[in-house]
Amino acid sequence: MKILVVEDEQGLRENMLSYLNEDNNVCESSSDLNGALAKLACYQYDFILLDIGLPDGEGFELLNYLRTERRNEAVIIISARNSLDDRLKGLNIGADDYMVKPFHLAELKARMVAIYRRKLAKGNNNLVFNEIVLNLIERTVTVNGSHVILTRKEFDMLLYFMANKGKVVAKTALAEHLWGDEIDVHDNFDFLYSHIKNLRKKLLELTANDYLHSVYGIGYKFTDA
Amino acid sequence: MKLAARYNRVTIVVTLSVLIIGAIVYFFAINRIASALLDDHLSEEVAEVTEYVHLHSQFPTPTDMDDDRTSFERLKGKPIPTRFFDTVYVAPKLKTEHEGRGVEGTLTFNGSHYRFVIIISKESTQSLLQTIATITIVLMLGLFIVLFIVNRYLLSDLWRPFYVVLDHLKAFNVSDQNTFTPVKSKVDEFNELDKAVELMTKRVSGEYHNLKLFTENASHEMLTPLSVITSKLDTLIQDERLVSEQYEQIQDIYSAANKLSRLNETLLLLVKIENDLVPEAELVNFNYFVNEKYRQFQDMFSERELTADTEISNKQLKASTYLLDILLNNLYSNAIRHNIKGGHIQIKLNKDELVFCNTGAANPLNGDAIFNRFEKSKNSDGTGLGLTLVKNICNLYGWRLSYEFNNGLHCFIISF
Repeated sequence: MKILVVEDEQGLRENMLSYLNEDNNVCESSSDLNGALAKLACYQYDFILLDIGLPDGEGFELLNYLRTERRNEAVIIISARNSLDDRLKGLNIGADDYMVKPFHLAELKARMVAIYRRKLAKGNNNLVFNEIVLNLIERTVTVNGSHVILTRKEFDMLLYFMANKGKVVAKTALAEHLWGDEIDVHDNFDFLYSHIKNLRKKLLELTANDYLHSVYGIGYKFTDA
Repeated sequence: MKLAARYNRVTIVVTLSVLIIGAIVYFFAINRIASALLDDHLSEEVAEVTEYVHLHSQFPTPTDMDDDRTSFERLKGKPIPTRFFDTVYVAPKLKTEHEGRGVEGTLTFNGSHYRFVIIISKESTQSLLQTIATITIVLMLGLFIVLFIVNRYLLSDLWRPFYVVLDHLKAFNVSDQNTFTPVKSKVDEFNELDKAVELMTKRVSGEYHNLKLFTENASHEMLTPLSVITSKLDTLIQDERLVSEQYEQIQDIYSAANKLSRLNETLLLLVKIENDLVPEAELVNFNYFVNEKYRQFQDMFSERELTADTEISNKQLKASTYLLDILLNNLYSNAIRHNIKGGHIQIKLNKDELVFCNTGAANPLNGDAIFNRFEKSKNSDGTGLGLTLVKNICNLYGWRLSYEFNNGLHCFIISF
């Protein structure tokens, strides 16, 4: 994937770049609106991660540019403003998703993978990790060709892990992804353990490889290494 | 008591007492003057009688003395001094009795002393007094009525600008944007009051607006550093050289950052609710929402071995689904978080109220304080804003939120 990160906060921009810069991804960045527009005039991207509050204007302008130029880059808005108006405005003028700061990089990656599959992969809705195939549209999972029945939470969890394969995923991030605002993440770690346990059990019934490793005290890592 | 009523009472009491005292003083003064006049008249009569006696060498007959009652009798002892006195006057023809004034004294005639008594009627002075009294009473009554009417209507009219200003102040809502309409009055004091109130409300609104803006900006400004922290941590944990102790430290930072962002988010939401900047209300089937949330929280119930029973009947209401979601999240997680292992939860919804009851601490909570910001139990991990949020959402839609403790159950009741 070719990714353009438009974010004025240097610390955040660097981390987004370093987190996303693998798997044959090519990442570029801009710290302001005009720089981003200049880059867009010259190059095509698959993905644009767009901050709304930029020093020289609102990120919405970039969305308008994309629309008038009939470009089909996928856009995820990253905003410090959790206002419904902004969200609707962004989604209406062509953004594919809207994330509110602060967010976990794993969450960003998971959403990017989901959007990429839906929008850009041209009919190929399968996310594949060795023998595990996950269909994002039908929300089905096959392991070595046979179906696994997963609960909604387990499916979401597997998708999250596969999108962030090879990365340590913090349990805080995972709990936030699964339960969102429902209750404080702190209370959810117990539930997380049982869901993880169930998912691992279901996968191990069909494959000999245990990809799900727990990283002591912090979270999990889904990897074949 | 209203100022006008109090003023009315004071003026009427003062006026009436002054009038009554005046009338009494007046009465005595007139009485005294009248008596002096009568006494003058009697002295003249005495002089006339003396002259008559010396001239005619005989006592005058009653007809010679008009209507005055005159009598003479021979004194055996010493002469008596001349004395005026109040007595009864009997009219000679009608034989009616009324008050009179008399004089007695000694008259020397043919070498012997005679006591004479002359009584004249006080009727004319009496009727004068009566007339004066009547006029005074009528005057008093008239004054009383006039004062009453003046105080009641003129004063209340005079005070109207004051009440208008008062109503403005009562209706004043710091978050309202509407401007203050000045009251026109001919009274300088009220104009000044109005100006002062206008100035004050402008200042208060301004300050409030600034504070609001500050809260909002502060919260927004905090989000970017928070996201830097989160993303740095997300990157940091990828480092394979880290050992478990460091991971534990990082986990604590994660938790703190998470709590901070929740706190921030909730504060922003509170600001939004207080300013009515919430998504539009729509007609929703609340029972559907309550059931749906119940399903979402199901696995948390089972994790804590909580038993729950629900009694949910149809209820439609007009509210923002976004806020209803937050409301229910808070009520459900509250009931779970402050519960005991193996405890119980009751959820009831009917067309009048929504009730969440849960087992928990053995003692009732402080019903007044629990809805305050940052009020939380010592061992709570929450933000301390959950119930405040619930309360504010209820306030926004005009529902009443109350807390009750009965039979070991902590109950939160929303009355629609």
